[in-house]
Amino acid sequence: MSRAAAIETPLEHGRREDTGGVQLSGIRKSFGSLDIIHGIDLSIPEGAFTVFVGPSGCGKSTLLRMIAGLEEVTDGLIAIKGRDVTDLDPSDRGIAMVFQSYALYPHMSVRDNLAFGLKMANTPKEEIERRVAAASAILKTDHLLDRRPGQLSGGQRQRVAIGRAIVRKPDVFLFDEPLSNLDAELRVSMRIEIARLHRELGNTMIYVTHDQTEAMTLADGIVVLRDGRIEQVGSPREIYENPANSFVAGFIGSPRMNLLKAKRVGRQSLTLAGAMIEAPFPTDIDDAEEEITLGIRPEHLTVGHETLAGRSLAATVDFSEYLGGTQYLYCQLADGQAVTVEYRSSVPVRSADPIVLSWSPQMTHMFNGDGMRIKPTH
Amino acid sequence: MTVVSTLSRTAGRPRSRSSAWRGLLYIAPAMALVILFFVIPVIVTAWMSLHNWPLMGAQRWIGINNYVRMIHDARFLSALRFTALYTIIATIAIFAVAFPLALFVEKQRRFVGAYRTVIFLPVVVGLATASLLWVWLANVDSGFIGPLLIALGITERSPNLLASFDSAFLTIIVMVVWKIAGFTMIILLTGLQAIPADIVEAARIDGAKRWQRFRYLTLPLMRRTIALALIISVTGSILAFDQFYIMTAGGPQNRMISVVYYIFNQSFVSFNLGYGASLSIVLLAILVAISIVQLWLLKVGDEKA
Repeated sequence: MSRAAAIETPLEHGRREDTGGVQLSGIRKSFGSLDIIHGIDLSIPEGAFTVFVGPSGCGKSTLLRMIAGLEEVTDGLIAIKGRDVTDLDPSDRGIAMVFQSYALYPHMSVRDNLAFGLKMANTPKEEIERRVAAASAILKTDHLLDRRPGQLSGGQRQRVAIGRAIVRKPDVFLFDEPLSNLDAELRVSMRIEIARLHRELGNTMIYVTHDQTEAMTLADGIVVLRDGRIEQVGSPREIYENPANSFVAGFIGSPRMNLLKAKRVGRQSLTLAGAMIEAPFPTDIDDAEEEITLGIRPEHLTVGHETLAGRSLAATVDFSEYLGGTQYLYCQLADGQAVTVEYRSSVPVRSADPIVLSWSPQMTHMFNGDGMRIKPTH
Repeated sequence: MTVVSTLSRTAGRPRSRSSAWRGLLYIAPAMALVILFFVIPVIVTAWMSLHNWPLMGAQRWIGINNYVRMIHDARFLSALRFTALYTIIATIAIFAVAFPLALFVEKQRRFVGAYRTVIFLPVVVGLATASLLWVWLANVDSGFIGPLLIALGITERSPNLLASFDSAFLTIIVMVVWKIAGFTMIILLTGLQAIPADIVEAARIDGAKRWQRFRYLTLPLMRRTIALALIISVTGSILAFDQFYIMTAGGPQNRMISVVYYIFNQSFVSFNLGYGASLSIVLLAILVAISIVQLWLLKVGDEKA
């Protein structure tokens, strides 16, 4: 089990466990009368790679900037390694940050960029040289030391920016969408580089992104945010396989999970697109009919030809995308609801073909009218 | 011409030649103005400077005699000295006021638009108008500054500010700072705003305190802007004329004769047009030299950011 399983929320107010990571308790942020962050409690264990993910405007960057000390905290406490840093200067928090725009000092050589923080701290010359050399060896930027940022490519600049963070020997690394300005290929290789860096240094890292691939591949623990609130905290696998609500279910996974409007009829059955189907698991409810959302990921839908009573649905293929190993079918159910299907068979499927979709109940989720997941009762 | 060139795009050479012509066409209006109002006057002035050229009567070729005369002209040398003093003091004073103002109005705060406007307002007043206004402000009896000093209990008698060199000089410096600082502030403000916010944030994380950020980030990143503001300020100060003519008439004891004022006196009071022209050429040379030195000192155009 990954370290992220230790991520806990909510944290008891006032009392912090003596873990070495980052503790947020009751964090709020408002700009004037506008509330951006609505009270966040989070405990990030030492050495974990934690990713804040969410749609734009969800407050993930603001939260990171509050941990960095670049943004004032309206209310709440931030502790790093058990030390209250809520009102400390950014430089006194034991953090280092990598910006989306790299934020290198354009008028300084790479060497001076790396050394700037140490110079400000009056570190002895030999020590600065040693640490700059060590950092640029880790990131393989030795040959760039005498160049200016303007003479570097995007990937090289981001390496230097990461190097500048390493040189500070921080307790916590903060990454604010560091790969967003890179092209797709470079993004993949830098992602691997960052993962390697985390393995080598073993520091606590907090990483903000809107890219769920980055979140899934890098994270020990993912924090899904929406509108300044935590929607779910967990390991990538937990988030993917057991989404707490329909928002998380739809946000994580690509192509996104099919969220189908259905109606619950009794404990065992649902009506979906005009057909009566079996519920994935029995639920205890009062017998009133209830609108629910049925969540099935595209890869858990199977294309067949035979109709199984209560376990399959008819659909029509709108169009398909061929990706080589796999194919995405964009279909419509009888009532017009859109369904995406991952299709791996070599039997060709063409637009307007009628198909029959079936699914395994274990991989199917139900969400109630408020979007919360309905858990199977044991 | 240009139409033909777009039709015959395929051939390499004709295109480059015609695009060169088109480029010339674009800069032609600007070039025409520069030639008409700068290059030709400079040539005519240089030509005049080699003559004994009275306002009326025949001019006479005297070669470089005007320039030789200049070297021994004590009044010209004292005008140069005074202009240098004025330029140094005025530029320092303008920057000392404009830079803090720029830092002040750069931050988003309440009424910042109003502050910027108020500080910039004197710039739109003409220098001659401003000089006249300050002559009145400095008037012994009906002015504002003298009575204010009495009201504040600082002096018993209203001082005649423009009567002694020191107080007149101070008054003119204050007037010029009031008039010019807003302009310099706006130039510096554009430079400040061009510094990306995340670079400043990175420096905060790197532990640079306010003064260190100013010293190691703001100043170097504003080098070009500072060079521009400096050259405008120095050039303006070296060419100062209105304020001395209007406020002190070169007074007290003719100690406030700037170079341009001296050129004016030679040309249009003494009617030595040829000598005035040679003085102008020398002044132009001085300005060019100083600007080159400033650009070199600030290493403008050295590297791309």
